[in-house]
Amino acid sequence: MAKALVIADIKNGALKGSTAELLSKAKAIGAETAVVAIGSNIESLIPGLVSAGSDTQYVADDPGLELFSAGPYASCVVDAAKQSGANMIWFGFSESGKAVAPRVAAQLDAACATDITDVMLEGDQIEIIRPAITNKVMQRLKINTDQMVAVVRAGAFEATEEITGTENVVKLSPPESDLKAVIKEIVSDAGSEIDLADANIVISVGRGAKDQTGIDLVKELADDLNAGFGSSRAMVDAGFLPHSKQVGQTGKIVAPALYIAVGISGAIQHLAGMKGSKVILAVNKDPEAPIFNVADYGIVGDLFEVVPILREELKKVGN
Amino acid sequence: MKILTTVKRVVDVELTIRVDNGAIVEEGLQYVINAWDESAVETCVQLKENKGAETTLVSIGGDDNTDVIRRSYAIGIENGIHVNDPALTDADAFVYAKILQKVYEKGDYDLVIAGKQAQDTDNGQTGIILAEYLGLPCVSNVIGIDVIDDQHIKVSRLGDAGTEIVELELPAVVTVDVSINEPRLPATRGLMMAKKKPITVMDLAALGTSVEEVKGAGLKSEIIEYIPQQERKAGQKFEGDAPQITAQVVDLLVNEAKVI
Repeated sequence: MAKALVIADIKNGALKGSTAELLSKAKAIGAETAVVAIGSNIESLIPGLVSAGSDTQYVADDPGLELFSAGPYASCVVDAAKQSGANMIWFGFSESGKAVAPRVAAQLDAACATDITDVMLEGDQIEIIRPAITNKVMQRLKINTDQMVAVVRAGAFEATEEITGTENVVKLSPPESDLKAVIKEIVSDAGSEIDLADANIVISVGRGAKDQTGIDLVKELADDLNAGFGSSRAMVDAGFLPHSKQVGQTGKIVAPALYIAVGISGAIQHLAGMKGSKVILAVNKDPEAPIFNVADYGIVGDLFEVVPILREELKKVGN
Repeated sequence: MKILTTVKRVVDVELTIRVDNGAIVEEGLQYVINAWDESAVETCVQLKENKGAETTLVSIGGDDNTDVIRRSYAIGIENGIHVNDPALTDADAFVYAKILQKVYEKGDYDLVIAGKQAQDTDNGQTGIILAEYLGLPCVSNVIGIDVIDDQHIKVSRLGDAGTEIVELELPAVVTVDVSINEPRLPATRGLMMAKKKPITVMDLAALGTSVEEVKGAGLKSEIIEYIPQQERKAGQKFEGDAPQITAQVVDLLVNEAKVI
């Protein structure tokens, strides 16, 4: 029987939503489920791993795993993959997942697919769907190996509410640390801000905001909605915002329930990073801006006038 | 310091990509250097200029790949290796990594700098798998490289919780993000000079390997078909009195889209 091993997505000590989404998908296609959690002081996450839908929990809990390091993390996943006998090893959409997945695939001599948006299972045959060529086309691939490693694109799968699991904890021995690639520190450039990849609502600002005053105005709207705050490439290139805020093909790819593009014209580069959003609202003073071609709702107007009204109206409906 | 960088020739994504009958329509396509590899080349050239590094590139592909090699020469790369073998048309990341391993082992390199992904497959795997095959330390998604001494570099990487600072012992593999630099454009004079510069062309036999070895038990995955991207359609666009249309849109977000 097919078996999925999902790598628990842990950030700042908390379990992210993608873990339940991936486990739900595994159950939906009839696979058995296991999860592997890697970190330091993560015992308290076990009930959450169970309720997210896993039937076995591999836990690598060691002080040496506090800071992300791709080598030791890959060793833990390979260990769990071998013990579980899983034929599908799935990572949520994260920078750590993208760094670890190819290592695991190389070590297991398994196929590797990044950015997948769907998985089909027929008997033992696995097929997957993923975007390619800068998000311009989709491709369907047949997996020829017994095992496959995948990174699942943000928002590809939905968590089923009634999902449950069984507690069956297997402790993994701590891996050797990577003495040739030593993580020294993590400089947080986002502070306690909401992660773009996790946010239910993402608001991005573009050239239309002109300068810091405009950016601050849009940021207030993001704060009101508890939304992730992103940017077009133009504002990053102009030095107003760090690259980590850039939504687009060469930046972050996001797929929130609601994406609000403020003062963004909609270059191909930017669209590639947010086209997967469920609902898109665009605010732009140019009625011909290409962003309106992909937006479900469009407000033609000056953002300096529209954004304050938008904040007031949203407050009225209880946000 | 001897650096090896990898350069892929890929489809120009600024142009329209069409799908017909499960395949990409070749007509009208143009090919360019992969955007991430362009940043890798720029990184190498800066290390040559600032730290006296020796730079070699490798590109795997057909006869046309000479254009991306010459373009990189024009920017300042010193040596070029072109792996050209008809057996490689359907190569995947594992096959590329295996070939790169052979190229690496023929030289005496301290550092491999690859782009973090290619804009045609968007896989982001080859550089990392190469490091695994070579048993070398690796950091991906790198946005800065500092040379500490002959045996160590310090790199910054865009991670989930911020910028990760990692000290690497050489030899090592890094894959770079486009945000690491602003690649220079080749000058006309440089392009002219590059035409005269020799390229070392090798097939698999010359690399001391074979199609059986680089493909192992066969391709691990195969593309069955391409599917056109479902384009989003333009929705409702409102113009006019800002307070009125904004209130209307908020009402739609709440009651129609149900996302607020």
